[in-house]
Amino acid sequence: MEYEAVIGLEIHVETKTKSKMFSDAPVDYNAAPNTLVSPIDLAHPGTLPLVNKKAVENAIKVCYALNMTIDETLYFDRKNYFYSDLPKGYQITQDKRPIGKDGYIDLNVDGKITRIRINRVHMEEDTAKQLHIIEHSLVDYNRAGIPLIEVVTEPDIRNGKEAAKYVEMIREIVTFTNVSDGKMEEGSLRCDVNVSIRPVGREAFGTKVEVKNLNSISNVEKVVDIEIARQKAVLEAGGVVIQETRRYDDGLKETISMRVKSSAVDYKYYPEANLVPIYIGRDFIDRVIATCPELPTTKRTRYEDEFKLSQFDIDVLLANKDVCEYFDQTVKFTKNYKIVSNLISGEIAAFLNKNQQSITELKVEPANLAKLAEMIAGGKISNKQAREILEHLFEKNQNPELVAKSLNMVQISDEGAILTLVNSVLDENPSVIEDYKNGKDRAFGFLVGILMKKSQGKINPSMASSILKQEIEKR
Amino acid sequence: MDYTTLTIKELHALYVEGKVTPLEVVKQAIEKAKKDKTNSLEAVTFEQALEMATLLSATAVEVDNPLWGIPYFIKDNISTKGVETVASSNILKGYIPHFDAEVVARLKTKKAISLGKTTLDELAMGGSGMSGHLGRTYNPFDPKKERMIGGSSAGSASVVASGFVPFALGSDTGDSVRKPASYAGLVGFKPTWGRISRYGLFPFAPSLDAVGYFTRSVADAAILLDVLAGRDDKDLTSSFEKVEDYTKYTTSVKGIKIALIKGISDNISNPTLKEHYEQTLVELAKRGAIIEYVEIEKSLLNALFSTYFVISCAESTSNNANLDGVKFGARKEGKTYIDVIKNTRTAGFSALIKRRFILGSYSLKQENQELLFRRAQKARRLIVEAVNKVLTTHDFIYSPAAPGVAPLFDKKSDNLNIAHLIEDNHLVIGNFAGLPSITIPVCLDNGLPIGVNLTGRAFSEKALFGFAAAIEDITGLKNLQVEDK
Amino acid sequence: MIKMNKDKLKELANDLLFDMADQEYDTLLKEFDELIALMDLLGEIPNVDRGEPMIFPFAVTNTYLREDEAGTPLTKEEFLSNTPDSFAGQVRLPKVVN
Repeated sequence: MEYEAVIGLEIHVETKTKSKMFSDAPVDYNAAPNTLVSPIDLAHPGTLPLVNKKAVENAIKVCYALNMTIDETLYFDRKNYFYSDLPKGYQITQDKRPIGKDGYIDLNVDGKITRIRINRVHMEEDTAKQLHIIEHSLVDYNRAGIPLIEVVTEPDIRNGKEAAKYVEMIREIVTFTNVSDGKMEEGSLRCDVNVSIRPVGREAFGTKVEVKNLNSISNVEKVVDIEIARQKAVLEAGGVVIQETRRYDDGLKETISMRVKSSAVDYKYYPEANLVPIYIGRDFIDRVIATCPELPTTKRTRYEDEFKLSQFDIDVLLANKDVCEYFDQTVKFTKNYKIVSNLISGEIAAFLNKNQQSITELKVEPANLAKLAEMIAGGKISNKQAREILEHLFEKNQNPELVAKSLNMVQISDEGAILTLVNSVLDENPSVIEDYKNGKDRAFGFLVGILMKKSQGKINPSMASSILKQEIEKR
Repeated sequence: MDYTTLTIKELHALYVEGKVTPLEVVKQAIEKAKKDKTNSLEAVTFEQALEMATLLSATAVEVDNPLWGIPYFIKDNISTKGVETVASSNILKGYIPHFDAEVVARLKTKKAISLGKTTLDELAMGGSGMSGHLGRTYNPFDPKKERMIGGSSAGSASVVASGFVPFALGSDTGDSVRKPASYAGLVGFKPTWGRISRYGLFPFAPSLDAVGYFTRSVADAAILLDVLAGRDDKDLTSSFEKVEDYTKYTTSVKGIKIALIKGISDNISNPTLKEHYEQTLVELAKRGAIIEYVEIEKSLLNALFSTYFVISCAESTSNNANLDGVKFGARKEGKTYIDVIKNTRTAGFSALIKRRFILGSYSLKQENQELLFRRAQKARRLIVEAVNKVLTTHDFIYSPAAPGVAPLFDKKSDNLNIAHLIEDNHLVIGNFAGLPSITIPVCLDNGLPIGVNLTGRAFSEKALFGFAAAIEDITGLKNLQVEDK
Repeated sequence: MIKMNKDKLKELANDLLFDMADQEYDTLLKEFDELIALMDLLGEIPNVDRGEPMIFPFAVTNTYLREDEAGTPLTKEEFLSNTPDSFAGQVRLPKVVN
């Protein structure tokens, strides 16, 4: 029996704002416990929610990146349940009218493009953080109320690789648009997957199993594939997949059941009466979109179509928002995209790695890197020389042309000078000319060698080659 | 001289004339409040009040500020910074807010002097003044202490009717200011929904809730609205509608069209009330008002109470889910966190409140929501449409504020009873439609007051005050209070 | 809606995380029947289910959104002042087990 997997993902993103979703308490991930709390966050009686404009803007940017239809009016609902980390006994969320609906994202997995439909994007608030120690749990409300954006896909994903790629793309989107740090390890991007399998060709979905709180992108791929395999094994053994929530155990490398879903929890959703509908309007939305940093998908297209970079190069650049930013800055000064890309992913990456630095600490200014690229492209310096110059730039930001000069590296590219040198070499080696004329190709290389030696390696190789050819024909 | 039995306007005049200082007035108010026999007080702030009064007395009176130095009380479901606020529920014992409600902050800015908090039905969910954690609040008009003052703003009504202070803050979700006002011979005012900020008002049912207040004259009610009305960015449901100069109302009723609702106004059982109610109308007509009966579909009137009950219980269940003893309040310990919350809520809520929560929660359950909660919300829309329709052709709705005098304690209870007469619940129309609504006294029946209720279009407070003041002139019943026995 | 009984009421109370004395459930059961009778009055309104539920007293939309500026949070002392039980500046509960 051939099975196919049907997978949907729910991602929660903690967004970067100065204050919380519904209160003006500050947001800071490194503060001492309970030092960033307002009475609103503690659900003190009589407090009322105050919607954060920046949080709305962040949500709009994500909707835009995912091609969603964006609602011009904001509606909020209550999700009612009791838990130790939920101060109000309900969460303010968007149930009936999410800010974004009916969007999509195109995944490129090994060259194959798959479109994943996005069902909804909505705003809600984060819960408090709990620390479990021995006999007690301690609750820290710094996190309570931080703005969250939830992104829910249709069950269009089919395997672990697609799932991982999808999460990667969401991470790219939220980091590039400056909406979030998107760090799964830190909890600013959280992922739950819903996995079911069905026989190929059947329309009806199988039983859905939820796997919660995966903490890295590689785990997403791993866990999805493990869960698919587990469900397959259950069915093949004649069993039935139980609807439940599971979690991934990294030690055992398997998913473990957390709780069986006897029936769906009743959250008694109903509209939040402390928030009248808020009309934001098309103009507001357009302004947010206009001031949104370039989307990663747009960058990809630009790098591919305009800059003609390879998928690999593009992936490397987009893996880090700051690296990408640096690249964009550099190519403002030069059109040698491939060379710049190579410098960044090669020499510069190695240097940063060795010194445990991030590209934001790099001393080389984009304008100077661009100059270096130009020098390489123009044949003014060899790759080896470029590396040497770069070492100096790492120490101190300076004009690479000046460095080259000081290192006496300036390549001889003056036609007249090369002509003189060529003719002098030819004059000194008449027998080699004879050899060349008699069909001995190695003679040419020999002459080039002498040219290089005589000029201490400074002669422009390609020019030397062509002028030598030209002159030798004359003799 | 008796200062605390004066109206705000009268007291202010004495301040301006230099005839008395805030300290003398506040001292008097405190003396009287200490002798309160109606069980109307919660946490009092007499020390702070004396301090503030002393400070004010040493400065020049603010001639253009009618609230300068005026003592008042605050219903204990309104947040007061540094002063225990428990909304009459044991679960909130010891809770001390870090902030003042917006209305309290504004009154502070205007140098009004709060003497403390007053009793209410637990969590404002009741209409008898009997369900508070300190027991029942008595009606000061009945020296035998056999009669209620109504609720839920029981204590605030009592302190004003007793003559301790000229005004007190309350809240009105179904009639919780306007009904006790009737039983206590007071002016009881509920503004348009969103007119006064709800920041700091413990929520019962936000789609119905309003901060309201008691005064002993319509002019005083207008003075207060000047200060309390207006947009507050801490309450996103508060209105941007322009704040008028409410004290500049006119009492001319010439050409005003008054609507009497069939089924409410033609159904008065108390003969004294009926007589004065109708006599007032005669007088209004003499002054040029046009009075007409209008019809509202009987099935809508019959459904007033059930609609209110379902919506308010459902909303209140959710609004009080924060009371779990985890972050604040009277926590009871337990082995697990669920036990902690369960033990806290079991001990902290009265049985009545729990029963209401269960019914409310039941109506919100997914499988029941459509037929209960949402149907009640749909009924609300039909009721509101009908009422607003009346107000397109008429300026005000005029109705009795209560069926009769304040009931005896054992006559009324908060147990659900299907025989809820429309005459006992129709004031909820003002909450459904968010309309400004005011109760003023219309007569005394054997020394016990009864009021009439006037309701106008949304944001028509100024005209409403004018109409109410006109009736005040007709009845001559102004500044009613219990006589010092 | 199902026929109500004491056990189901106890379940509802349990969902709300409280319990009541036994006789209170008896009172509630009676009130429940009264509630259902009251609900019938809703059903008697002609075309009651046709319209939209009303959430706010009148149709109002605002445009106001709060600017994203950090305000002043509660001080440590303020935070602890209402906390029933705390440890190391945090609210303390018996261990929450998933």
